[in-house]
Amino acid sequence: MHVIRDISDTSSYWGASWVFGCFPDVHMICDAPIGCYNLLGVAVTNYTDALAHMHNLTPTSIREEDVINGTAPALQRTLNELRELGMLENKKLIVLSTAESEMISADHTRYLATLEPDARFFWSQSLEQDEWVGRERALLFCWEQYGKPAASTAAPAPYSVNIIGPSLGCFNSTADLYEIKRLAEGIGATVNLVYPYESSLADTPRLSEAMVNIVMYREFGTQLAQVLGKPYLFAPFGVFGTTSFLHELAQLLGIPQEQVDTFVAKEKRGTLRVVWDMWRGPQSDWFATVDYAVVAARSYVVGLQAYLTGELGVKLAFASGRPLAEGEPDNIQIRRQLHKRAPAFVFGSINEKIYLSEANAKATFYIPATFPGPVVRRTTGTPFMGFAGAAYLMQELVNRFYESVFNYLPVETLDGAGMTERDAAGNAYVQTMPWTKEAGERLSRAMEDVPYLARISASRTLRLAAEQAARTSGAAEVTVEQVEAALAAGQ
Amino acid sequence: MSDVIPLTSVGSAQEPFKESACKTHPQTMCPAFGALRVLTRLEGAQPTMITDTGCLYGLTFVTHFYAARKSIVAPTLGTAELSSGQIQEAANAAIAEAASERNVSVIPVISLCVAETAGLSEELLPREVDGKPVVLVRVPAYAIHSHPEAKDVAIAALMRRFMETETTAEPNTLVLLGEVFPADPVMIDGLLRKMGARVLVTIPGRHLDEIRIASRGAAVAALHPFYRDSLACMREHGVAVVGGAPIGADGSAAWIRAVGAALELDDATVEQVAAEEEQTARDFLARQSLKGATVLVSGYEGNEMLYARLLIEGGAHVPYVSTSIGQTLHTAADEAWLKARGTEAVVYRKSLEDDKKAMAHWNFDLVIGTTSTTAAAKELGIPSVYYTNILSVRPLFLTGGMIASISMVQELLERRPIYEKMQSFFEG
Repeated sequence: MHVIRDISDTSSYWGASWVFGCFPDVHMICDAPIGCYNLLGVAVTNYTDALAHMHNLTPTSIREEDVINGTAPALQRTLNELRELGMLENKKLIVLSTAESEMISADHTRYLATLEPDARFFWSQSLEQDEWVGRERALLFCWEQYGKPAASTAAPAPYSVNIIGPSLGCFNSTADLYEIKRLAEGIGATVNLVYPYESSLADTPRLSEAMVNIVMYREFGTQLAQVLGKPYLFAPFGVFGTTSFLHELAQLLGIPQEQVDTFVAKEKRGTLRVVWDMWRGPQSDWFATVDYAVVAARSYVVGLQAYLTGELGVKLAFASGRPLAEGEPDNIQIRRQLHKRAPAFVFGSINEKIYLSEANAKATFYIPATFPGPVVRRTTGTPFMGFAGAAYLMQELVNRFYESVFNYLPVETLDGAGMTERDAAGNAYVQTMPWTKEAGERLSRAMEDVPYLARISASRTLRLAAEQAARTSGAAEVTVEQVEAALAAGQ
Repeated sequence: MSDVIPLTSVGSAQEPFKESACKTHPQTMCPAFGALRVLTRLEGAQPTMITDTGCLYGLTFVTHFYAARKSIVAPTLGTAELSSGQIQEAANAAIAEAASERNVSVIPVISLCVAETAGLSEELLPREVDGKPVVLVRVPAYAIHSHPEAKDVAIAALMRRFMETETTAEPNTLVLLGEVFPADPVMIDGLLRKMGARVLVTIPGRHLDEIRIASRGAAVAALHPFYRDSLACMREHGVAVVGGAPIGADGSAAWIRAVGAALELDDATVEQVAAEEEQTARDFLARQSLKGATVLVSGYEGNEMLYARLLIEGGAHVPYVSTSIGQTLHTAADEAWLKARGTEAVVYRKSLEDDKKAMAHWNFDLVIGTTSTTAAAKELGIPSVYYTNILSVRPLFLTGGMIASISMVQELLERRPIYEKMQSFFEG
């Protein structure tokens, strides 16, 4: 029997709602108890997408009697109320099942057709499918139900692309999308649809009007691109990764490569200049000395590794993508690993942040890189993708190096905490104490587990604590027991 | 204040307010969250949730944000496990993982909608693992209805399991029941000591020992009106129950007298303390600093009527109060007090539609509400704040709490121009 810790991926009901919820001309009814509505539609959405609430989601509010007798009356009541409130005017209605309604086999496909012929029922399969499958299926559902039957057969406009994938609950999509659009337009492409994030459901037939599809995320959206039958590319990361992407995109669109070269040359003088400057400066040297872990959605795991390790040479401690691939650590293993030895940087969710707090891993920097976790990522200024992403990531890592330096410089606090101890006569203990060979080796070994930047400071702290312990016990030299005691005390 | 904010009285010219016929968007945090908040905060507790992945994701998210930075364990529960009757086995596997943690002293098992529908049996769960007690708490959202009421379910489950049964009451001690601002019990304790009594413990707290010794209290005061099951447990243990809360001038004096009677304290001293407290409160209230302001109070914490009382004593007009909890005997006194002082509607189990209808019915100078309600108010340029985040983080009780709360509301009222400017920029 499999056990989960701090689940990373939510269910297909959530994933599908995050897709349908983008459309201004859709209203959703979730066949759900109030909790499933509140968590998705209000509580979590407040803190991931920074929305006051999902205005186009309404629950049937399953109650005890509905669990026993079925949810059809609750669905009918909800539908009537929405009509009365005028919330269905000029909207397409989609009714979604949830884990609870699936538990009681409440399939409303036929019943809904009698209530509202134009409405559609989406069987979420929430008990067995995760958010990624849910999003993928919702995108396909839109195409099959609302797109394909009315799809235009006209030839796509020259140089046109769709960007497929950005939707609610996608970490950092505002900034990444802005960058991908900027890049595509930079080489002369035109954006047909950003689907679903900036589209209406009525736009769906127009998905066929682009020459190439840019699939923002590896974790979902590919199947829609395949069904559309046009060439597709994944959104790029890194300096070299992005450059290759632009050349490929140009080739698929029939844009001359010289146009790409001109754009990239301009970027080298603009967006990317800071990467070259810091590469030549003292900052990039640090990259050889630190390691990182990444726990994030598949695109970020692939992209961050390609850029940080492949292009900048930063060492990877471990990676775990969502959806989880064979052989990658799950949260139970990630937690153990972070407790045992935390790398200098951890890109992750609030789960990793909690594991670091549990281990008191103060020398590690946590950088939000995925949900779950409350974080606002709604400005255009925090991209991970593209040239702007390469520059932003490098900048942010370097700023954390600076922060490390600051944190470990000596400080004399107002309350005098941490100052060198004094003997009864008021003399500071400044003379060098002898250490046994084993104690010295234990100190060195302990430092191996501390991120590089923090080692000087950590070794000093540990040394002082062990020496103090030795003095307290009246010992003439520091032994391995005193080092262990200092380590156990969290020094 | 009155020259800045004109008295609004549009309501009086209209039909009486009726709550919305459509309860389309009920307002409460997922009810189960109330239980999680109480249980995850217990020191040494390793919570184990029995539910589907979507539920797990949402509840873990809010728990990690608002309750405790604590890892949460759960079994994988999909169609395969649910349909083949493996739910017990799944629950036991998760409990075993929970028990393997260092520093664990209790394992709360939180059973949610799908587990309750599938039928999780308490008899088939271990009562303890390696000496660590396993406590089942059933909180299906379809049956509990609001998150404050789930706090009650969780506390009652802990009380039934852990309260000492063979105890003698410690005279002159009072147990406080309700999640309150940390300074509040200290203030209440200070006041009780003037009368020769003290606060024994405040529940929910951070330690099981608080539950264990609660039965030693001579009396219990439920500061919030939704602890029905927990109060029943206390009564079974022979602890006297004091109703109401020390809220505002009227409420504090009455509460002090009720506590004095329940603990059989010296009448003259109690009367003196009550009179002093009331006088200090009245001195502040004499300023009527909220006069002329019409305020909407809407939350899902279950203690909204207490805040409404304070605002009214401070001079505000509070025609409408709504809450997620149901109407019970414990809500009757506050409702009667409010209705005698200008509150026209108290809506229980409210929906967004009720709050919006109220906003159309009266002109509010300030809206204190849920996130959806306050968003609607901000779209109208009305100063508004999220009840849970802004009010729950301040003292509330006795004169000190009253002054803190009323002063904050007064400052909020003065912020109208920036709300109007923002609204007119984006929507004007």
